Amino acid sequence: MPNRFLGFLLLWIFCSTFSGLYGQNSDAPKQISNTYFLKNCFVVKQPGVTLAGQNVVIKDGLIAEVSPNIIPPFDAQMVKSDSLYVYAGFIDGYSNTGIVKPENKERTKINDPGNPPNDLAGITPQIKAIDQFKPSEKSVSDMRSAGICLSNVVPRGLMLPGSSDLMLLSDGAQDRMLLKTGTGQSFQLEPMRGGFPSTTIGVISKFRELYRNANIAGSHDEKFKLNGTGLSRPDYSKELVALYPVTTKKLPLYFKAQKTKDVHKALSLQNELGFDMILADVKQGWHHVDQIKKTNSKVLISIELPEDDKKDIKKDSLKDVKSDSLKIANKKVETLTDKNPEKDNFDQFREKSLKEYLSQAAIFEKAGIAFGFSFLDAKTSDVKKNIRRMIENGLTEKAALAALTVNPAQILGVSHLVGTVEKGKIANLVITNKPYFDEKSTISYVFVDGKKFDYTEKPKKDNKPSETGKFIGKWSYVVEIPGSTQKGKVNVKKVDGKYKITIIDDSSPNVEDTAEEIKLEGNNLTFYIMADMGQPVKVDFDLKMEEKSYSGNISITQFGIFPIKGEYEGQPD
Amino acid sequence: MRFIYLVLIMFLTASSPIAQNVLIKNGNLITITQGNKEKTDILITNGKISKIGKNLDVPKDYKIIDADGLFVMPGIIDAHSHIALDVVNEATDPNTANVNVGDALDPLDVNIYRALAGGVTISHAMHGSANAIGGQCETIKHRYGTVNPDELRMVGAPRTIKFALGENPIRVHGEGNKIMPNTRMGVEQVFRNAFSEAQIYMQEWDDYKKGIRKTSPSYNLKNETVADILRGNILIHCHSYRADEILMLMKVLKDFKVDKICFQHANEGFKVAPELAAYGASASVFADWWAYKFEVYYSTAYNAAILTRNGVVTSINSDSDELIRHLYHEAAKTQRYGDLTDDEALALITINPAKQLGIDKRVGSLEEGKDADIAIFKNHPLSIYTIPQQTLVDGVIRFDINSDPDDIRVDINPTEKYSSFYENDRNHHERNGCLKGIAELLMAESYSKYMRFKYMKNHNH
Repeated sequence: MPNRFLGFLLLWIFCSTFSGLYGQNSDAPKQISNTYFLKNCFVVKQPGVTLAGQNVVIKDGLIAEVSPNIIPPFDAQMVKSDSLYVYAGFIDGYSNTGIVKPENKERTKINDPGNPPNDLAGITPQIKAIDQFKPSEKSVSDMRSAGICLSNVVPRGLMLPGSSDLMLLSDGAQDRMLLKTGTGQSFQLEPMRGGFPSTTIGVISKFRELYRNANIAGSHDEKFKLNGTGLSRPDYSKELVALYPVTTKKLPLYFKAQKTKDVHKALSLQNELGFDMILADVKQGWHHVDQIKKTNSKVLISIELPEDDKKDIKKDSLKDVKSDSLKIANKKVETLTDKNPEKDNFDQFREKSLKEYLSQAAIFEKAGIAFGFSFLDAKTSDVKKNIRRMIENGLTEKAALAALTVNPAQILGVSHLVGTVEKGKIANLVITNKPYFDEKSTISYVFVDGKKFDYTEKPKKDNKPSETGKFIGKWSYVVEIPGSTQKGKVNVKKVDGKYKITIIDDSSPNVEDTAEEIKLEGNNLTFYIMADMGQPVKVDFDLKMEEKSYSGNISITQFGIFPIKGEYEGQPD
Repeated sequence: MRFIYLVLIMFLTASSPIAQNVLIKNGNLITITQGNKEKTDILITNGKISKIGKNLDVPKDYKIIDADGLFVMPGIIDAHSHIALDVVNEATDPNTANVNVGDALDPLDVNIYRALAGGVTISHAMHGSANAIGGQCETIKHRYGTVNPDELRMVGAPRTIKFALGENPIRVHGEGNKIMPNTRMGVEQVFRNAFSEAQIYMQEWDDYKKGIRKTSPSYNLKNETVADILRGNILIHCHSYRADEILMLMKVLKDFKVDKICFQHANEGFKVAPELAAYGASASVFADWWAYKFEVYYSTAYNAAILTRNGVVTSINSDSDELIRHLYHEAAKTQRYGDLTDDEALALITINPAKQLGIDKRVGSLEEGKDADIAIFKNHPLSIYTIPQQTLVDGVIRFDINSDPDDIRVDINPTEKYSSFYENDRNHHERNGCLKGIAELLMAESYSKYMRFKYMKNHNH
């Protein structure tokens, strides 16, 4: 067996900026006063307007005063803020912040796949985000630590996951965190498995039908309420009732559209059915600028950008070439790859393509589209890095700040409450030691709804080695496949401080598959192996580890997802 | 995942608006409908054939293509393909008339370019054959180089829908999900049920519109679509093999007064050729491909010739992203097996598929007023030595053998590691067939067998 262990990518340790580590939140003593005084700051009142030498008073969750000539109120807590920069709290236009990822449930057997129950088909517009929102979810404190004070939270799910709610990312009670309920319905081109709709064409078809029927049911309802005598009684459908505000344009539809073909589908459906649309999580939308302007659709650009580590990619592809052509001596392969005009050509194309992704925000700015950002599955530690990459590719700092503040406030219909640093607005503030877009700036404080979160303390260096040593050992595994059960062993070792995982199936004890891309987040262990089934087939493992046992799923392209579980058996071989 | 690409995209986007005014000089024209014309010019204005004649004047700003010694024929039309689609099968219901593959067109599919390199300018992008009534299909023009799916559509082409008989729907639904159809009888009943339900649905809406019914019925996209078939607004293209089933469907359609039907594959079509001709049904067949499953064991390479000589409008299709590149060879096989004339053989891949798709007034032959969809060959297109030179769609050169870069992809994923098509498309062989998208459904059960096979294989090594 070739040694397929790639040895790159270990343990993803999200340390750095998690406020959860700072121990100042829920354990902190009761606040004496909720009045704060910020002295002598640079206040970035709104994009493009910076005022020097300002004092700011925060009281009862609001910005009470912004002025150079005020003295601290008697009950104010003084914040060490001399010469710091005060921005309006950042606003996330679309994400699953605070929504727990659902457990991988076993698939329910569907008797009539052409007509599955609505909840299995992902048609749940009646669900409200706040009902799934958990203030203690890690993503809430992660987002806050990146300066995001307000999230438009969308439920997790499939095609119609539910309506979104605007949540203040504080750490109080759930109800207190709600700023605005029902900001819109959410729609995604996400099919279900094993039933209709199982493809994007099914999802689109189902949406057309639901949309028209919501209209029919809605007007039937109205007619019946007005004068029901002699009329057939309308059927009650909680799904159609929830969609009626969309068909009557009282509520916008957040259409998740990442790639160019998704954006095209969104614009086509919007053109066909006529709903108010907010394009969400757009990653490749620059081809559609004209159409977006023409239809006056609102846009939330994804904060995520493609990675750019050319060196890594080159090394990896070389490695793949090596493992693909075992027979060729290493030296020969290198010469082959070095002088490969096709590859050089490809590298050029790829660079151009990357540039387009990085320039998307600048293209939208030039077209005069006032976009916001979406933070769906965003790595919060990369937020500023990514915005800086957009700025390097033509986005102005003014437009970048607008996309973080005033634009999403406008799109979400709350610009009278948030988005600028002005008297009377909600006290959502991001306070940095240097101008935010400066490479070396760090966040000192975040105020959410008038509550202070302090990031001036350096995070304690965690004793990581003990963390990384977790789960070492020999583990059994059992995979349930329809019609049979597959058993074997998983060996989890540490070699040179890095994880090494090998897998041996009982049916062929001499063959060892080596795991790649091993990631451990909390107790969630993920990796994949390339199994040889005539051709290489990627098998993804997603395991929830406990002390003496684990459970999870393996997923295999084209075959599906299968449950896996196992137990600790002792020291690794 | 596909990729962006530098030089050619500039060439294509830049050339699109300019090159629609073209003069093709001194070609040997194979018009299909009006005989052959030696050393004749074709004038293309705004993407349409404006004049055919000898020694035409060159208007100002027209691009000139010197076709001296070359053969010029109408662009090849493939009446059955699955290229340029992100989704082929919504395999969850025996009747999915409500879905439309036109909602998942993929302009980035490099197979469009490969088809152009075989002179093919139009293909019928079809739903798969998993369901008795599959989804609606889309007739597309191969305008490769765009990222806009709408630019592929042949606007004005009639709507079409996929039906399927025999083993595929039975395997997916009967054997897979234990629902009807589990037999060939069941397949027939799916059609009869669907048509009957659509009739009731039409009646409900009629009653509502006339005020007999006070409240609106629910909207049902499946019934809407089948009702449109009954109204004659959608052409049926039915996946079929056996003669008895072909007769069965014609009987069903006769009962419901539907007359527009093209039988796809129809490997036993030759057995019922007179019946097909009498019904006005057409057939789209393979030249010499059968025996790939039980119901396709009985066939002949003379199928197309027998159908043609019996007066059935017949075409030869690819159903494959590879075969689509040499449909001219496939057509030529009917001269070896069946002695068709040049015009008869070439009609199988031009005017006849155009008729089956309802677009023969616009394409399928070289005639003044038609779309300038043109394929230019070195050597006669029915010769084994023929080589496609240039392919024009609406007067725009979309393929040119002298300007044929290695990497033709339109969209490149910036984080993709691999550079070559082969590595990019590892599961290529599964990608564009009739059963695309249902591998998971079929294989969930056979997965364990595969795993056993895998370990047995490794074990024996």
